[in-house]
Amino acid sequence: MQCKELESILETQGLEQLPQDARLHLATCGACQGLVADLDSIVSAAKSLPAEVAPPDRIWISLRAQLEAEGLIKEPVEVSEQSSWWESFTAWMKPRTFATVTAVALVLAAAVYVTRHTHNSPSGVAKNQPAVESPRPAPPQVTSSAPAPSNTPVNVPSKGPRPSKTKELAPSPSESASFTLDQAELDVPNMQLAGNSQVDAALRQNLRTLNAFIAECEQHLKQNPQDELAREYLNTAYQQKADLLAAMMESGRGDN
Amino acid sequence: MCAASVIPGTTLGATRRIRTISGAATGQLARQRPAQPVALSEAEAIRLAQAGNAAAFEFLYQLHGRRVYALCLRMMGNPADAEDLMQEAFLQLFRKIGTFRGESAFSTWLHRMTVNVVLMRLRKKSLPTDSLEETLDPDAENSGPKRDVGAPDLRLSGAVDRVNLERSIEKLPPGYRTVFVLHDVQGYEHNEIADIMGCSVGNSKSQLHKARTRLRELLQEEIRQQARDERKAAKTPSGSLE
Repeated sequence: MQCKELESILETQGLEQLPQDARLHLATCGACQGLVADLDSIVSAAKSLPAEVAPPDRIWISLRAQLEAEGLIKEPVEVSEQSSWWESFTAWMKPRTFATVTAVALVLAAAVYVTRHTHNSPSGVAKNQPAVESPRPAPPQVTSSAPAPSNTPVNVPSKGPRPSKTKELAPSPSESASFTLDQAELDVPNMQLAGNSQVDAALRQNLRTLNAFIAECEQHLKQNPQDELAREYLNTAYQQKADLLAAMMESGRGDN
Repeated sequence: MCAASVIPGTTLGATRRIRTISGAATGQLARQRPAQPVALSEAEAIRLAQAGNAAAFEFLYQLHGRRVYALCLRMMGNPADAEDLMQEAFLQLFRKIGTFRGESAFSTWLHRMTVNVVLMRLRKKSLPTDSLEETLDPDAENSGPKRDVGAPDLRLSGAVDRVNLERSIEKLPPGYRTVFVLHDVQGYEHNEIADIMGCSVGNSKSQLHKARTRLRELLQEEIRQQARDERKAAKTPSGSLE
């Protein structure tokens, strides 16, 4: 074998598994030994080079911006269109949102109470006074597909324990609590709550929101009776509703 | 509740999985956390990316970005060009991802696009050393490195370090460089390289051998130059300045 033939073999077959005659030539040819040894060194050194290098973060940031600009990213539409009411509800029931709604309800109740007792005047007079400056709260959206019960009373089925914080509305037996809530709610449409249309509307809106949640919880529990989380949400919603109704009735009595 | 939908392979539908990886990606633009590979396979990510899911895009980017960047960096020799070309390669990939049918491996497809983008840029730059046509055609008589077989050579053993090698790779003609980086640095097989480069397996083998022998020459030249520099420094004694 000649040196050129060996090189031809190296070109077509690489450094591994040289045939017998090529190995015989290598054993006797110093130049070809040097060539193969050098190529081996190069291959070994190349394998020690990093095959991966971390790119700078700015590349992805820029790339994503471009993808968004070209409309290649369509994610938000896809998710919102297909997400179920229950996912929206659980998102709404996250602690921060829930606490916000609770705080809004309590603040409104307190505002109504303070307004009534400060002015100590009939509702007709209060109507003409824009004295109440409590800002209109913005209740969170439930879902676009959520039922809107408006002022229609919700028939709450008796499931599990009910809150009993408000003695007037929710005595200890859970079944009667549901009934009591419904009865209390029946009076709400006729109440002149705060004498201020904005606060009044906000209170009613909160009630509607709560009713929607309760209806959704009940519906979900009918389908998944073992869902403890849904049951917990339902109980919490009952409690919220009881507190809210208590505040509303308190202000309603103040008017009469 | 949504945590359950993270686990693939459950009975959850595609909607849930879209939501899961969307949730996983929340805020990632700012924090640049890598996607969670356990939550998603490459095939799923491709399917979701075809539907325009941002987190799937990012997942694929995180999965392959490091190799693509390394390739661009070695091909271009400077980070600025490498960043530019990497972005261009991924942009092309995501624009065309809807046409990906899985006939070849996704990484092969991505590397093919990257190599095309890189070679296109190098063509525009028109490097003065060798033309691409020469280096990509193994049958051309002038294409290979010239070597006098049997001539006395400077042995490289022990002298090839990473710095020398990186410097010499930069001096390779683009065609050789591509095949050498893909095979010897990134570990691709010849059939994959043939797919990436759009050539035959034999062509890929031939290119690789020529790249190695050319590197040998470049490294030898590097060593000779170093020796010359050392001699020059030795001839200039410190006392001669006095």
